[in-house]
Amino acid sequence: SPALKFEVFSRCSTTKARASKMHLPHYTAHTPMFMPVGTMGSIKGITTRQLETLDCHVILGNTYHLGSRPGPELLEKAGGLHKFMAWDRGMLTDSGGFQMVSLLKLANITEEGVEFENPHDGKVMMLTPEMSIGLQNAIGADIMMQLDDVVSSLTTGPRVEEAMWRSVRWLDRSMKAHKRPTEQNLFPIVQGGLDPRLRTLSATELIKRNAPGYAIGGLSGGEAKGAFWRMVSLSTDILPTNKPRYCMGVGYAEDLVVCSALGVDMYDCVFPTRTARFGNALVRTGSLALKQGRFKDDQEPIDRDCDCPTCRTYSRAYLHTTVTKDTTGCHLITVHNIAFQMRLMRDIRRAVIEDRFPEFIRDFMQTRFGKTVPRWVVEALQSVGVDLTVADEKGGYAATVIDDDFQKAPNV
Amino acid sequence: MTLRFELKGAISGAGDASGTTGARMGRLVLSRDGDQAGSAATADTSIDTPNYLKYTRHGLQPHMVREVAAELEGMPAATRVQLEDFLADELPDYGKLGDGMHEFIGLDRSELLVLDTLDPTVPGRTAKSSNTFMGIDSEGGTRRLTAEVFARVADQLKPDVVVPLADYVEEPHPSLTQGKRISKSVSRSCKWLEEYLSKRKHAAAVFAPVMGSHSTGLRDISAKMLAGLDEVAGYVFNDVSLDVAFEKKLQLVEHSLERLDASKPRYMAGASAPDSAIRAILRGIDLVDSSYPYAVTEQGFASTYVFGGDSAATGSAGHVDLWQESMFSDFGPLVEGCSCYTCRTHHRAYIHHLLMTKEMLSTVLLQMHNMHWYQRFFAAVRESVGRGRLQQDAERFFERYCSDAGCAAFGELETLGKQESSPTTKIQRKRHAEQAQ
Ligand SMILES: [Zn+2]
Ligand SMILES: [Zn+2]
Repeated sequence: SPALKFEVFSRCSTTKARASKMHLPHYTAHTPMFMPVGTMGSIKGITTRQLETLDCHVILGNTYHLGSRPGPELLEKAGGLHKFMAWDRGMLTDSGGFQMVSLLKLANITEEGVEFENPHDGKVMMLTPEMSIGLQNAIGADIMMQLDDVVSSLTTGPRVEEAMWRSVRWLDRSMKAHKRPTEQNLFPIVQGGLDPRLRTLSATELIKRNAPGYAIGGLSGGEAKGAFWRMVSLSTDILPTNKPRYCMGVGYAEDLVVCSALGVDMYDCVFPTRTARFGNALVRTGSLALKQGRFKDDQEPIDRDCDCPTCRTYSRAYLHTTVTKDTTGCHLITVHNIAFQMRLMRDIRRAVIEDRFPEFIRDFMQTRFGKTVPRWVVEALQSVGVDLTVADEKGGYAATVIDDDFQKAPNV
Repeated sequence: MTLRFELKGAISGAGDASGTTGARMGRLVLSRDGDQAGSAATADTSIDTPNYLKYTRHGLQPHMVREVAAELEGMPAATRVQLEDFLADELPDYGKLGDGMHEFIGLDRSELLVLDTLDPTVPGRTAKSSNTFMGIDSEGGTRRLTAEVFARVADQLKPDVVVPLADYVEEPHPSLTQGKRISKSVSRSCKWLEEYLSKRKHAAAVFAPVMGSHSTGLRDISAKMLAGLDEVAGYVFNDVSLDVAFEKKLQLVEHSLERLDASKPRYMAGASAPDSAIRAILRGIDLVDSSYPYAVTEQGFASTYVFGGDSAATGSAGHVDLWQESMFSDFGPLVEGCSCYTCRTHHRAYIHHLLMTKEMLSTVLLQMHNMHWYQRFFAAVRESVGRGRLQQDAERFFERYCSDAGCAAFGELETLGKQESSPTTKIQRKRHAEQAQ
């Protein structure tokens, strides 16, 4: 594609992980990468200069929100969202469909598009694939997403297959409506719920369109993690190896490590910035709720190994006094949480480039979970040749499998 | 650590020759040489006066983390912190928390740190003091701060300047007219100051609160006591909660100044708005604080007021309202030609959008501009004092922005007092309520 050049320059010799450079119109991003979410054209009180310093390569904007405020006319007049918000690196916009279905209970999906009641005036409106692309062309992000027929990952039955085929048809309409193919990339979304047959059909159908990159959608909606990773892995097995793969809505640290091992290159999630507002700081062992009294006299930084401005300067005791009270308290944790995600991705990339990703995975999982690791993590990694239950020659770390999907308490 | 104040002699055309009253220029110089054994001698920090102390919350300027505040140039290297911000929970054991408050709040060593007790933007106080403690309302309920605890905490925090506890009088108070309450406040404050001085180990410079409220007689007593103390390095006027016109407050301040040592610096809380600051400076105040630009930011305004120079510059409002609908598609900077980070990087339409969508970046960007603007204002005021023209320039300034009824252009601080925290959402709600009417 003229607007995207994807250069895979290192492959893990054990897992499906790879390290790449993704040349976009505004920036050359390094993958695997995490993209912070800036719903309304800003990321939670953080200036674009701070975002650059924090090593963010691509940020996300939400088409549904930006479409109502400030609206496509103003964004076009401003010369796109990049200029409007003074961000000159990479940008990705979603289609607006997911927001519509999750925020507006009254959304009704027809072949034409997503019908919804405008929360401002109560009028029934329609978002079609053409309109979504129109909005995204106005926003001008480096990567746009097709409008897809979103069904909950918990849905079963014929509705899943209907949505899958409709999403393919909507992709064709989106491609036709796309007016700036030399400046913007359109990514299709693999659908098919938790049904391997439908996922396979969807991916197979989409790759015929020869898109610049592909997304794996319809996951991270509360499904069992055992089903989640299998759908991700099945998709990456079918999608072309010379194109980027984007797993939507994924952002927990263990998910990023596992999915990278399964061959995913791009992620986004509101979690790191949202949880900062409540005073939760991310660390490799889990998350610190700095509001808790136990941090009152704690003079350690959030994370000794983090070199973000917050960790270089402040103790947990100081942060304890200000989180959830001042906007600066929120900003300090947001800065750290973004830095945390970015450092994790850099560490993943370096481990892949130096072909020691399996060792990195073992270290990471030992730090995060200790002895007991969720079954889905163990099985996902076994599927790509990393067995956490067998002690390695160095540290002798061997994990015990547990059935919980998530970590119950930080591993401290 | 030594702190000295160099007064640049009497200024012709304003005030009296001794510098007791009337505008004056000076320089606060902080030396840290030999603070720590073996540490390299550090350069002196100096702050030209009249100037402001940077207003903070929990030790950080509102909305701006360190690396954001670092985008601002020319700011005075002086920060004020109020202890009450850290009282919501039980006081931490600051003795364990590294090397004093500079380290705790991430303040550069080169900065002068002033530790006060109360937030100057909060006028109404309900907590009652007694003979032995200062009552402070906090989120966690009323805190009782004794002189002994204050001395211990101040020792642990090692600020450069300490404003000791004082029994500030709050209005309206029924016994005020009889003067008993004021009399008590003077004697308590005096006792607490002496207790602090006798109990402390860390030798911070003491800026002592000048008490006496309405009563000139009691002001005399307070001033006389303070003038006799060598340990007192500067004076603080905190009549924020006094329910009298600002001009009347200044008369009371002036009355005290005549009885104090004119060679020492004077800080006045509650004189942060540009008109108040000018009036206070004209009476001989050297330092105020930057709570005003914060109040401007909370309203969703960007400052435009200009002191001296081109009088035709901006309108008479002193600010632009970024909530206005006309900002929707305004791709100009907040102020044409402004060199602040916000104006160099963003346009009005974006800030308007951030306010409308309740994004926290709105107040970050506005605060950067408003602080830049405040600093510019003080530079212009100092220049005017230096040329002996403050009185004339001030008159022109008041003509432009004020009327006989007062200075409505700079009323943001009053609005701030009535507002709850969490800025953008609250303002949004207020606006909606107004529009619905
Ligand atoms: Zn950090
Ligand atoms: Zn500016």
